[in-house]
Amino acid sequence: MSHPIRLEIFKHLFASVAEEMGVALRRTGHSPNIKERRDFSCALFDAAGQMVAQAAHIPVHLGAMPLSVQAVVQAMDFVPGDVAILNDPYRGGTHLPDITLVTPVFLPSEGRPFAFVASRAHHADVGGIAPGSMPIATELIQEGIVIPPLKLVEGGRVNQGLLDLLLANVRTPEERMGDLRAQLAANATGARRLLELVARYGPAEVQAQMEALLTYAERLTRRLLAGLPPGVYRFRDWLDDDGVDAEPVEIAVSIAIEGETATVDFAGTSPQRRGSVNAVYAITLSAVLYAFRCLLGEDVPTNSGCLRPIRVLAPEGTVVNARPPAAVAGGNVETSQRITDVLLGALAQAAPDRVPAASQGTMNNLTIGGWDPRHGRPFTYYETIGGGMGARPGRDGADAIHTHMTNTLNTPVEALEYAYPLRVQRYEIRRGSGGAGRWRGGDGIRRDIELLADAQVTILSERRVFAPYGLAGGQPGKPGRNALVRCGAEQPLPGKVTLAAQAGDVIRIETPGGGGWGM
Amino acid sequence: MRIGIDIGGTFTDFVLFDEAAGSLRTYKRLSTPHDPAEAVLAGLADLGLSPRNENRLRGLEIVHGSTVATNALLERKGAAIAFVATAGFRDLLAIGRQNRTRLYDFLADRPEPLAPAERCFEVVERVDCRGQVVTPLDDAALARLAEQVVASGAEAAAVCLLFSFANPAHEQRVGRALAAAGLLVSLSSEILPEFREYERASTTAINAYVAPVLDRYLGRLAARLGGAEFRVLQSNGGSIRAHQARREAVRSILSGPAGGAVGAFYVAQAAGFPRVLTFDMGGTSTDVSLCDGGIRVTSEGEVGGLPVRIPIVDIHTVGAGGGSLAQVDAGGALQVGPQSAGADPGPACYGRGGVLPTVTDANLVLGRLPADRFLGGAMPLDASAAEAALARLAEAASLTPLPGLSPAQTAALGVVQVANAHMERALRVISVQRGHDPADFALLSFGGAGGLHASALARSLGVATVIVPPLASTLSAFGMLAADVVKDYVQTVMLPGTVAFDELEGLMRPLAQRGLAEVAAEGVPVERITLAPQLDVRYRGQAYELTVPLSPAFADAFHAEHARAYGYSYPDAPLEVVNLRLVAVGSVPRPPLPTAEPGNPDPAAAYLDTRPVVLDDGLAAVPFFDGAALRPGHRLTGPALVVYPDTTVLLHPGDRAAVDRHLNLIVAVGSGERGAVSGER
Repeated sequence: MSHPIRLEIFKHLFASVAEEMGVALRRTGHSPNIKERRDFSCALFDAAGQMVAQAAHIPVHLGAMPLSVQAVVQAMDFVPGDVAILNDPYRGGTHLPDITLVTPVFLPSEGRPFAFVASRAHHADVGGIAPGSMPIATELIQEGIVIPPLKLVEGGRVNQGLLDLLLANVRTPEERMGDLRAQLAANATGARRLLELVARYGPAEVQAQMEALLTYAERLTRRLLAGLPPGVYRFRDWLDDDGVDAEPVEIAVSIAIEGETATVDFAGTSPQRRGSVNAVYAITLSAVLYAFRCLLGEDVPTNSGCLRPIRVLAPEGTVVNARPPAAVAGGNVETSQRITDVLLGALAQAAPDRVPAASQGTMNNLTIGGWDPRHGRPFTYYETIGGGMGARPGRDGADAIHTHMTNTLNTPVEALEYAYPLRVQRYEIRRGSGGAGRWRGGDGIRRDIELLADAQVTILSERRVFAPYGLAGGQPGKPGRNALVRCGAEQPLPGKVTLAAQAGDVIRIETPGGGGWGM
Repeated sequence: MRIGIDIGGTFTDFVLFDEAAGSLRTYKRLSTPHDPAEAVLAGLADLGLSPRNENRLRGLEIVHGSTVATNALLERKGAAIAFVATAGFRDLLAIGRQNRTRLYDFLADRPEPLAPAERCFEVVERVDCRGQVVTPLDDAALARLAEQVVASGAEAAAVCLLFSFANPAHEQRVGRALAAAGLLVSLSSEILPEFREYERASTTAINAYVAPVLDRYLGRLAARLGGAEFRVLQSNGGSIRAHQARREAVRSILSGPAGGAVGAFYVAQAAGFPRVLTFDMGGTSTDVSLCDGGIRVTSEGEVGGLPVRIPIVDIHTVGAGGGSLAQVDAGGALQVGPQSAGADPGPACYGRGGVLPTVTDANLVLGRLPADRFLGGAMPLDASAAEAALARLAEAASLTPLPGLSPAQTAALGVVQVANAHMERALRVISVQRGHDPADFALLSFGGAGGLHASALARSLGVATVIVPPLASTLSAFGMLAADVVKDYVQTVMLPGTVAFDELEGLMRPLAQRGLAEVAAEGVPVERITLAPQLDVRYRGQAYELTVPLSPAFADAFHAEHARAYGYSYPDAPLEVVNLRLVAVGSVPRPPLPTAEPGNPDPAAAYLDTRPVVLDDGLAAVPFFDGAALRPGHRLTGPALVVYPDTTVLLHPGDRAAVDRHLNLIVAVGSGERGAVSGER
């Protein structure tokens, strides 16, 4: 048993290191995606790459960040002043737009890193075949520039060659540079703060408290698991398609609860697919951590200790543990949501009074890119759209909200219309879309956007076929719908599509409602 | 005569300033939450200012900090309001920014919108980002809308149409139609002509929601105080006349805390510390703010979970205070707060049935809070109840007593250290997270519970000086009197950075004229009015702006400010001028602080006795002093405890304190090493 007072004090100290990194990143970030939508995370790691504290922003980054740190540790030796960069989904990344910077923190007299800090941010464009780098692709290479673990800064000097190569392969290099600089600032903040703690409490104490915090989270997770009825709980659900082939994609899970431990096994899940719905292992791990984390309660620190009593088996070559060269853009944003759905569907059997019915189960990714005639320059608009939250035991689901693996903010309509040749015609709650039940599922959103210029439109969305499930007899939520309105005539669009749209066209997205709970 | 009145949850504080005599007097009585005006009127009567005495009231100026608007919002006791939006956007308030407030809590809900779905309406019309009408507004539709809104049972309405800040004509027509139908109307283009529709709508809806409540309250008060001039402190730290405050109620949403910040800054500045962290630790929560040569305001505030985009004093609040409960959680960590014992049952030592230990109990067990002298001895504390509560905590946490200390004392030391960790984090949010090093600031502690923690916090943050003012508990009311008349204006323009300076000046002119006229209308002579025109500028494509003064060289100023704030700039990148801002300040004569020349440094006259106190490194005999008996020039050396009627100050070993000419206790914080964490196993 660790020391109760120190534990609580260090909980605050480590949390504020991560928090201050997040503030530095948001303050200095250049793109709306970081400043306005807050699509980033920051975290602190011990020397073994275990995540000790995280500034809570985006759950899909959760389990993935430790793997980034472990990937750089495997790939290179560090000297003080180094900063590593990566986005390769097969070497510590998740999908290409998420670029991670890892900084080793050294004590003055030691040759090996004492700890690590890392920041991960969603960059609005990292090249590839479509603006926004979230295309309907069949190979990773089409989705953007792939950055294996490399040193962006070596001994305090920026690796200019690497930076030039990177910036030459993206559509908005100035903005990328601004955001990378912000990540560097965030990491520098984290490293400095950690060294301040070392100066104040001594390295042995800081190290001991890192481990104490990990075992604290582990202890709480073990206690949670011990409180669940032992047994094997199974659930499966489907992605509508992979965007290339029409066949549904099955995600299957069995969760075996045995005493204080759990084994989560994804055997039976579809092999990886041609389209981009492939999730790498890091994403699956994030979803597992998220699902159990939600049962733990809000005040528990989110760290690697939560995962210690949980074994995750994700068969290689399936959509929950894809191998190269599979495309992965949708794995991060869409498959991650379905993995969460099946995990919660299984856990609902073990804890029926604590788990909500399925939420919208998609992020409704919308990218519109083209030439802005008003300003005479290209533009890329990327947005994810909220939907219905699943009904909770004892409470209706919330309407029009981001659920589970994401929590980004919307782009204000007035900001959007200044920035892009678009006009939002409608942004409202899609009434009646939530599943009926004793407790009603939340309603989705309807968002209609008129194009004021010709543009390429890409939609990467889910739950257009398979509806979000209800629980305890509750009805499913209504699936989402995508449509193109041209000259007043509405044409349905598939869930995953790229099209050349014209000025005057209206893109209509109706997002799914949440499932209902109880009869 | 001027009077500052601050209505708090427990006490209503009065500070009287007689300009002719130059005298200052303070008074407090219990608040009357069911009708706050009752305590105000009763207090004035106690002070010989009975409403029945018309002559006494004439020439009297009352500056009032009102929690009426705040409480109406936090307790959801505002008016039944309707919300009117552009067709297609009536769910603006419900959707918000579509994010959830807690990431890992299935049961968390966003705050309910102030207007329920059945009272949200839309009107067919559309204006584009340049202010041009895309879809005209139809009069027949307007008439129908007014009927529907009235039929919904709303007594007030908030109107927020897209891009109304660029062209308010449609919004004004909607407003006239609703006002003609008998509704109290708030227009977004008047309350906050700034882009970002949700934040503008939220601010406007809050105004509509609290305005009728504040209006009734101030109307009642004004009617009974006929001859007096009546002013209200706004959230930006400036005061305005009551009749104005009644229309723009959202501007006084953080009136009380703003008074505290204004008072704290005034006192700190007079003591020679213009850069100060203010620290107001109360029973259930702690407010902190940062003053960097002036009060800092933010337009990114939130009250009750709802965004408020008008400038408000930048105050950060954490749910930890003297009454916060300490317990061991399931993972074995000793947690303090966020649950609080409140006033009832209160801490265990209040003897009203509280069983769990609080921070106050911990301080009592450590001997830092004299049981017989709490609130000037008016409320004796039950030390044995506190002792028992902490002993149970020590057992639950399996603490091994530190050498020479009992288990209860060991646990108490831990509770204080954990509480300090909360406070330290709050102070870091307001300083480090805003780009400041706390070591560059002094720490000013007011509020009943702060004095025992301030010196330890200062040590942890590298702060060299702690200030405890003698007005500590009435500082907010005092701040009401020290507040200038401040009005701020904003207008979104969204122009390219290449815009000519002449054009910007021309656009600023109507704001400047309005600012001058409105501050003059508050009774401020023109020569005491200053106008600060500013621009919100950003790099094209950036999402947030920096504010720089309006000048021909505004672009250079922006690059320099960007480099200062963020560490880099792009001198060649294109800029956007997003908003015009104007701050109009009318300065008012400030009440002088009580002053006496320093005398003999020996505080023997204030010495009370010496008692055993648990300090961070163990038990020590510590002298106690009577704060009320301290005189300018007196010097104290830590360890020592200074007992004021409403707060107690702990000086740690190594601290050196002196009483300045305004009776502030100025503590030079010792640089000694931080004590070991208690209860080592």
